Amino acid sequence: MEIGWGTIWELFRYAILAAVAAGAVCPLVGCFLLVRRAAFHGVALPQFAAAGVALGFAVLPAWIDRVGLAGLDYVEALESPHALKNYLLAFAAAATFGALLLLALLGARKTTETARLAAGFALASALTILFGLASPVGGEFIDSLLHGEILAIGRHELEVLLGAYLMVGTLLLVRRHDLLLVSYDPETARVLGKRVRAGEALLLLITGLTVSVGTLIVGPVVLFGLLVLPPLAARGFASSMRSFFLWSAGSGIVAAVGGVWTSFRFDWPLGPAVVVAAGSLLVPGFLAAKLSGE
Amino acid sequence: MISGVDLEITAAAFLGVVGPNGAGKTTLMRGLLGLLPPLQGTVERSTSSLGYVPQREGLDPVYPLSVQEVVRMGAYARLSRWGRVRPADGALALECLDRVGLADRRRLRFSRLSGGQRQRVLIARALLTRPEVLFLDEPTSGVDLPTQEAILDLLRDLNRREGLAVLLVSHQFEVTRAAAREIIWVADGRVGSVEGVDGLRPERFGASGPPPASGSREEG
Repeated sequence: MEIGWGTIWELFRYAILAAVAAGAVCPLVGCFLLVRRAAFHGVALPQFAAAGVALGFAVLPAWIDRVGLAGLDYVEALESPHALKNYLLAFAAAATFGALLLLALLGARKTTETARLAAGFALASALTILFGLASPVGGEFIDSLLHGEILAIGRHELEVLLGAYLMVGTLLLVRRHDLLLVSYDPETARVLGKRVRAGEALLLLITGLTVSVGTLIVGPVVLFGLLVLPPLAARGFASSMRSFFLWSAGSGIVAAVGGVWTSFRFDWPLGPAVVVAAGSLLVPGFLAAKLSGE
Repeated sequence: MISGVDLEITAAAFLGVVGPNGAGKTTLMRGLLGLLPPLQGTVERSTSSLGYVPQREGLDPVYPLSVQEVVRMGAYARLSRWGRVRPADGALALECLDRVGLADRRRLRFSRLSGGQRQRVLIARALLTRPEVLFLDEPTSGVDLPTQEAILDLLRDLNRREGLAVLLVSHQFEVTRAAAREIIWVADGRVGSVEGVDGLRPERFGASGPPPASGSREEG
């Protein structure tokens, strides 16, 4: 039986809205990652967050025994849409910000940041699987997480995502010039009286918030797809930073809407469909770059 | 590390800082700008209106910035509460671009300009800060002779007509001598001053000798 779009919207509107919100905001953060030559952060950081989520699942029984979780027992906690997500969000955020802090502290060392990030990524990938296996529910969750199956998103998750991404979007809008200057030309920024370290810290905060909330709610596959692919596609069309941001966010939204359509048309899981849609935008982006001589 | 620095930049001065590569010229300038704290002694500034033109090779071409966006960075110290460039600064940015002869290129990608054009855009950006002193780090390095002349003419004009103090760091001996009214030399970790450009003699550079005359590597 063919399901109409009205029914699809009625059933999956939270997931669709979450995909569109992630499609609009994640590429804006990705723009900064790309121009700072830190695109690998977009792949590695969601993996750190995923490891944090898996750890949260692994220690959940012990946590409930010793600390408690809103007065719920283990089974109740697993069925609670709010308490469990908030608890896992805290683990995702702790893992993401912990990784960012560690990278910042190791910044002065002689090994390259990419090498450290790659090592961390490998370790986080392994830990995600091991922590997942340590919990029967976690094992299933890891599969779901890695496949980016976001159709089951509920109202609470959507509200958390919209709240966090509204904050990220607002910070990027209001502080975009400062963030751009401290990234592009930190010496001139200091001559102009800008606090470069504060700008760098704000960018880490924005990246960490985007990744930790996004990993938990839309999954790492969707997240790193939307962080990296739309800005890469947008580069071919952009003639300025302003148009780079606009094209990136627009490409992300197109990828989200296209992914939703593809998902229901071909019965694909929504997460990978969004990423494939975002990846398909690389072709026109590449052609536009060639035509403009980039 | 450099030592023996005793330097005053007065209004409408045009100082050239010369010396071989790696002698510490840029370190000296960064100290004067407040980017590096002095290990000993003090740097006193009677103005905070400093314009800075960095070496353009340090700016990553992967940023898809337009010429106009680069210039408007000069107004980022006085953004509105919501992070917008004020309309008056937007208009001033165009004037600054016009001042360096590139107003018609404002919509182009900065990274696609020639070396000399990028240098002039960075000077326009520094002018937008409304500086009293303009610091330039190797502004004529890697550009051809006509472009060098155009940049030096612009700096002379800003200095003489508008009373802007200029501190120009260069390893190009002849270029600095042609533009500056006063020379500071840096070599072997020491700094010395010379009364007027005619006092600049190759032997003042010590064992390292004077830098070679400027060459041309890139179309302006």
